[in-house]
Amino acid sequence: MSDLTTVGKKITKRDAPLKVTGGASYIQDLKIPGMLYGGILYSKYAHAKILKLDTTKAERLPGVIAVITAADVPGNFRFGIMKDNPPLKAGRVRSTRDEIAAVAAVSAEIAAAALELIEVEYEELPGIFDPLEAMKAGAPLIHEEMKSNILKMPWKLVCGDVEAAKNESAYVVSDTFRTQWATHCCLGTSGCIAVFDMGNNLTMYSNTQIPSLAQNDYFEALSAFGLKNRRVRIVQSAIGGGFGSKLDTYAYEYIAILLSMKTRKPVKFIFSREEEFFATSPRQCTITKISQGCDKDGRLTFREIEMVLDNGAYTSWGATTPSVMMMPISSLYKVPNVKYVAQCVYTNNTYSQAMRGYGNPQATFAIESSLDQLAEEAGLDPYELRLRNANEPGELTPQNFKVTSCGLKECMAEVVKRLDWKGKKGNGNGRGVGMASLIHVGGGARVYKSDGCGTIIKMDDRGKVDVLTGATEIGQGSETVIAQIVAETLGVSIDDINVINNDTDVCPWDVGAHASRSTFVAGNSALGAAQKIREQMLAVAAQNMDVDPAVLDIKNGVVFSTQDKEKIMPLSKVLRKAHYTPGGNMFTAEHFYDPPNENFDKEFKGNLSVSYAYGVHGVEVEVDRETGQIKILNYIAAHDVGKAINPMLLEGQIYGGGLMGIGYALGETMIYEKGHLKNGNFLDYKIPTAKDVPPVQAVIVETDEQAGPFGAKGIGEPGLVPTAPAIANAIYDAVGVRIRDLPITPEKVLRALQEKAQADAERSGA
Amino acid sequence: MGFEYHKPHTVKAAVDLMQSLENAKFIAGGTDVMVLIRQKKIAPAHLISLRNIDGFSIIDNEDGLQIGGSATLSDIAANDFIQQRYSALTDAATQLGSRQIRNVATVSGNICNAAPSADTACPLLVLDADVKITGPQGARQLPLDDFFLGANRVDLKPGELVTGFHLPPFGMNTGSAYIKHTRRQAMDLPMVGIAVRVTIKIGGSEIGCKDAFCTIDSISNILRRLEDEELRCEEVRIAMGVVAPRPVRARRAEAALQGKVISEALFKEVAEIAAAEAQPRDSIRGEAWYRREMVKVLTKRAILKAVDRVLRPDDMIHPDRLW
Amino acid sequence: MKQKITFKLNNEERLVEVDPAWTLLYVLREVLELTGTKEGCGYGECGACTVIIDGQSVNSCLYPILEVEGRTVTTIEGLREASGELHPLQQAFVNEGAVQCGFCTAGMIMSAKALIDQNAKPTEADIKESIAGNLCRCTGYVQIIDAIKTVAGGRRT
Repeated sequence: MSDLTTVGKKITKRDAPLKVTGGASYIQDLKIPGMLYGGILYSKYAHAKILKLDTTKAERLPGVIAVITAADVPGNFRFGIMKDNPPLKAGRVRSTRDEIAAVAAVSAEIAAAALELIEVEYEELPGIFDPLEAMKAGAPLIHEEMKSNILKMPWKLVCGDVEAAKNESAYVVSDTFRTQWATHCCLGTSGCIAVFDMGNNLTMYSNTQIPSLAQNDYFEALSAFGLKNRRVRIVQSAIGGGFGSKLDTYAYEYIAILLSMKTRKPVKFIFSREEEFFATSPRQCTITKISQGCDKDGRLTFREIEMVLDNGAYTSWGATTPSVMMMPISSLYKVPNVKYVAQCVYTNNTYSQAMRGYGNPQATFAIESSLDQLAEEAGLDPYELRLRNANEPGELTPQNFKVTSCGLKECMAEVVKRLDWKGKKGNGNGRGVGMASLIHVGGGARVYKSDGCGTIIKMDDRGKVDVLTGATEIGQGSETVIAQIVAETLGVSIDDINVINNDTDVCPWDVGAHASRSTFVAGNSALGAAQKIREQMLAVAAQNMDVDPAVLDIKNGVVFSTQDKEKIMPLSKVLRKAHYTPGGNMFTAEHFYDPPNENFDKEFKGNLSVSYAYGVHGVEVEVDRETGQIKILNYIAAHDVGKAINPMLLEGQIYGGGLMGIGYALGETMIYEKGHLKNGNFLDYKIPTAKDVPPVQAVIVETDEQAGPFGAKGIGEPGLVPTAPAIANAIYDAVGVRIRDLPITPEKVLRALQEKAQADAERSGA
Repeated sequence: MGFEYHKPHTVKAAVDLMQSLENAKFIAGGTDVMVLIRQKKIAPAHLISLRNIDGFSIIDNEDGLQIGGSATLSDIAANDFIQQRYSALTDAATQLGSRQIRNVATVSGNICNAAPSADTACPLLVLDADVKITGPQGARQLPLDDFFLGANRVDLKPGELVTGFHLPPFGMNTGSAYIKHTRRQAMDLPMVGIAVRVTIKIGGSEIGCKDAFCTIDSISNILRRLEDEELRCEEVRIAMGVVAPRPVRARRAEAALQGKVISEALFKEVAEIAAAEAQPRDSIRGEAWYRREMVKVLTKRAILKAVDRVLRPDDMIHPDRLW
Repeated sequence: MKQKITFKLNNEERLVEVDPAWTLLYVLREVLELTGTKEGCGYGECGACTVIIDGQSVNSCLYPILEVEGRTVTTIEGLREASGELHPLQQAFVNEGAVQCGFCTAGMIMSAKALIDQNAKPTEADIKESIAGNLCRCTGYVQIIDAIKTVAGGRRT
């Protein structure tokens, strides 16, 4: 490959100039003339019967145009993967985020006032808030029409023979780990504007991460509401953060559609910060029992995991996180025998959906904490145990993942070197080091039947390029990376590239901004289309220059012969030649890239992704033994990224993911009491501030993934997968206590230190 | 629900306005009041702003320290004199909220809101602050300790407002510190807050005492050296936040320390007494047992910080960092 | 009862009719249609609404509009040169990767500007302190701090 001019360079983000001037339009900023403002009334109780619901006073408030309840929802429409979620609830409420009524008014203030006038009479019912309780036989059913609170979504993965392997293991460890509900905290809250045209076709202004899938969801909803076979258009605003929070549709979106249908006006919903906390779906919390074993040489023999997941009152992607949790369970390190069982259980709590990592952080916390326990049992340095079992390029894992490029060992070496592992391990003076690895999908992920993304490229007479992509820009930089790939391939300046990515009327299909897939899938799609257009242009240029197209190249917007530097033709001239000739030509190309990965078979086996991203995080911590507080002295995040198409944006993902992981490990937790969220605000739900940033190094390891665009694989999620166990392991090295339940708070550390001191005293017969 | 907004230019005008209006509330920086209104916890029909009163934000260091009724936390944080002589107050001012909050929030507002977690409360208590009040019945002054009545309740009669604080002068042998125990490094309320003021007298050598702090050493060793040099706490004040409905003095702990030579054994005793005087409770912001433990730990650290500031006044002694 | 107030906004004298119960943030976004300043929480806990008043960074979501009378207000829209060129801070944010989703960006830049205007050579600790009240969920703050450093003369790119 000749010297790259754009790929691999620190190119500034395409949308940054508009954003730094305050000019980008987020959903909060959009206004349509005549627009109404929506508001939702939520349940007062976690579990109750609705005895009476009277909206008369609200309807009469001047400025209120419509009020709706479940009675106004046509048919028995339910959304969500289990179709168990009605947009407005009737008869019974099952959680404190249940929507029971909604209003549309001429101002947000009037909408809020109207909600206060809705009269509801409840009969409170006892609620179940512990999935372990909800699983028991005879527990009251959350959904009466289902026979059990355990979801009919049995997750089970078996590879090899775990029982036999257990018996043959020289060392075995077992323990239970818990993780908490944590939430995305996008700075831009959720919202939409629903508007219909004269043909009853819907346009949704939205900050969704799944434009094509949401289009389908709304299409089905419109059908159920009596509007069959309509067009649905999604126009995305600038998106103020995603992190998975917008990978599913929510009740408020269907409510907006219903209100817009009823009022025949655009209806806008914007979540307040409180609503963003309690009415969006957080990261799935987990209870994990894990056993792992190894032989006398420290080679892993088996891994057995059992999980119970609190599914909450309705079902979204939280229930499918086991499909991703299987990935580290079966394929992080070489483990020949694996067994994994997960059950999702309905309760009267909130319900989860996707959040960056999609279950991987939760599973990796258990696996990597347990691995350190195994290392201690086997008398091995935790780095040594990891090294002996590290994945390697060309491996086939027990779940049938085909590992192509793999920089796990290189990442480990970086961490060990930069952290001064050998110098700092085991010093015990309140300071310690710990590490943890990650595997994540890096080449798309076939979680749906399609993992594809389409791109259409067209060129104008002046050599400017329009790239229409299905990929969604949620702040991660997909727009810029796509522009770089196209600019590099076409030999033009990146400033000549215009990426259009926010309108389903214009943009091709894409399954969504999830699974860290944008660089790999959308990038390959853009690369394919760019290569096609390049061929078209070189064919026309070759004709005009009277040479073989094979000798031509393009740089800086000029086509030239590699054999005779005098033979040149500006690209714009090529384009005008093609266009302004009788019987002329226009240049467009399209490419739909659906990576050659596999859906899982009935046994949940199959090559989920075309390539896998690896990484290792190492942490040095200092534990204040009197207060239990943890200070991070040094943080190394080494990531195998295939190729860094844009090192600056890539580092941004590593820093951002890393700090989100630190928040998850040390301080973030949604505090629920009997189904009510007690800390739904930025004061009491503590995401890290600028003063919480530790000394951190982002280390990029390039392994040149052949299947990736210019060798790249994904990075969006890996940044926070191994953070919590790396920190937990470092704390153990520092002071000899292991916290098994996130977040690692000073209280837990101090309590553990006190218990350890007491146990030590008893043991020494003091 | 709206309100009218008034901007008097004198204290008298403010008092008169409050007398004449129904359902009115004083507002200074607004970082508490505007939040309470948005949360619908209060619904005043009138807000009487104290931000435009001539001379109201002045900080004056004649005769100790006078803090004006609308002096902001930023004003306090930037004041070198306060940092040198009333360090605990600087600790509070630099750690409260964020810069944006501190630029408008006032000490008066922080005190009158009277949250048990109010950052300026414990420092002002140990610095023997008096509250200056005026109202329809005229002006009065009382010790801050008598001003706090309970959670979010202060001794302000109807129509009264706080016009400022007066702190007595302290000499070179007095140091103070405020430790705010938080979960993250900014934008946080304390789980527990401890403020200490101490006036010391050294029996042995001052150099010896300074040395104790100069090396990076364990608290045990520092205390041993201070004991060797017979460092005595002549006068001491300890105040605790978030361990009771209002900020409180740990009077028994103070009595145990007053006049005594510092030693490890004494520190342990004082810390235990302070912890016993604390009545923390469980809340979503912290557990009672942990808060009580932190009273023990942080009382010791705050006393040492205060002593360190006397011995090494030119060093930036950060209250939250160990040696 | 609505009142008319005058204040300086981005170097221009403005006369606006306002309801006393409105906040500065509401007036900026809804009345003056300057939507660059964002609402992230409405409680002064996230800093997305940060503007500069008389040289100091403040949360406009908590700032009563009548207090603005007679004062000088600068929002993100007021930072560019008359020629259209970006302010050095804005350019630095672009150059250093300090912008991802961009929702916190306006508030973050205003906090940084208030710092640099008062202190031309801030330390890293000063920089972190100045933006401690601006939450960001995307960047992890590292590149934001680097961007401010390049303008503060602490680091050359």
